[in-house]
Amino acid sequence: MEDIGFILSTYIATFVGSVALAWYYLRRGKRLAEQLPPEDMPWI
Amino acid sequence: MAVTQNRITNTTATDPLAERSVEPAKRRRGGATGTRFTFVLGAATIASMALLVLFGLFLSPADITQGESVRILYIHVGTVWVAYVAFGVTAIASALFLWKRTTSLTWDRIAGASAEVGVLFMALTLFAGSIWGRLSWGKFWVWDARVTTTAFLFITYVGYLAVRGLGGSHQQRGRRSAVVALLAVLEIPLVHFSVKLWRGLHQEASVAGTTKVQLENLMLFSLFLALIAFTLLYVWLVMHRQRVLAMQDALDDKGLDYALAARRAESSTAATTSATTTAATGGTV
Repeated sequence: MEDIGFILSTYIATFVGSVALAWYYLRRGKRLAEQLPPEDMPWI
Repeated sequence: MAVTQNRITNTTATDPLAERSVEPAKRRRGGATGTRFTFVLGAATIASMALLVLFGLFLSPADITQGESVRILYIHVGTVWVAYVAFGVTAIASALFLWKRTTSLTWDRIAGASAEVGVLFMALTLFAGSIWGRLSWGKFWVWDARVTTTAFLFITYVGYLAVRGLGGSHQQRGRRSAVVALLAVLEIPLVHFSVKLWRGLHQEASVAGTTKVQLENLMLFSLFLALIAFTLLYVWLVMHRQRVLAMQDALDDKGLDYALAARRAESSTAATTSATTTAATGGTV
């Protein structure tokens, strides 16, 4: 496959960026949940 | 914080916060912001992304004119689609926040969460586009109308996020950022129609456009798979982010009360322990 490095870089950047944002949201949520009672999290 | 280790229900009955518990939520599947729905949504997102990699990189054929670089377009089109949707949702949620009948900080948080995810996907669009430009035009960046207006849109929404970060109450934040969002969304038609207004290097839409481009079936399938996969990812990210913002707002509003209640609980426990020790030693300590 020609230009495999260029093509793969777009896929890798996209997936790494998405996973990093998802991880950040989950971690932030976990930390905030430790400081709040369940009634402040109505989705639980 | 000390709040996490204390159960406020141990404090005196006269304390208005005494009946509230700040016991942290138990460990749950999908984290503190997850539900059964987001868990299923996340699983569907991962599955669709895996299929996208399979079809985008291996099963769909190379293009007659673009060659293998057409595989970048599955990422490029998918991410820009989500960015447009995200900025559109930001504008709608902002309008609902400003409308008196539906004023709720939930709309403001949805707007903020959507814009944040949109900025990420717009950055990825620009990155994938520049790589595709390097392979097709020989340069990572050209001052083409579509490319330039897209970069301008990206910068505008980075500015929107900066405005959200300014000080003030949550209502002030909501009103201020909603106005910016309603102005910023006007750029999207400019970006979309820039290829027609200023005929540059960037091609027109291959699907649902005016050009008569025939996409091979597997290419078309891969393209729609990308749209579905990125849309699922967008919904998952926005749901989690909106809940994180709700928790952050709650902590801003009530965090001090919780911390004070926890401190009282600590003092109460310490006093009880001290009294017990004194009684046990007969006051000789």
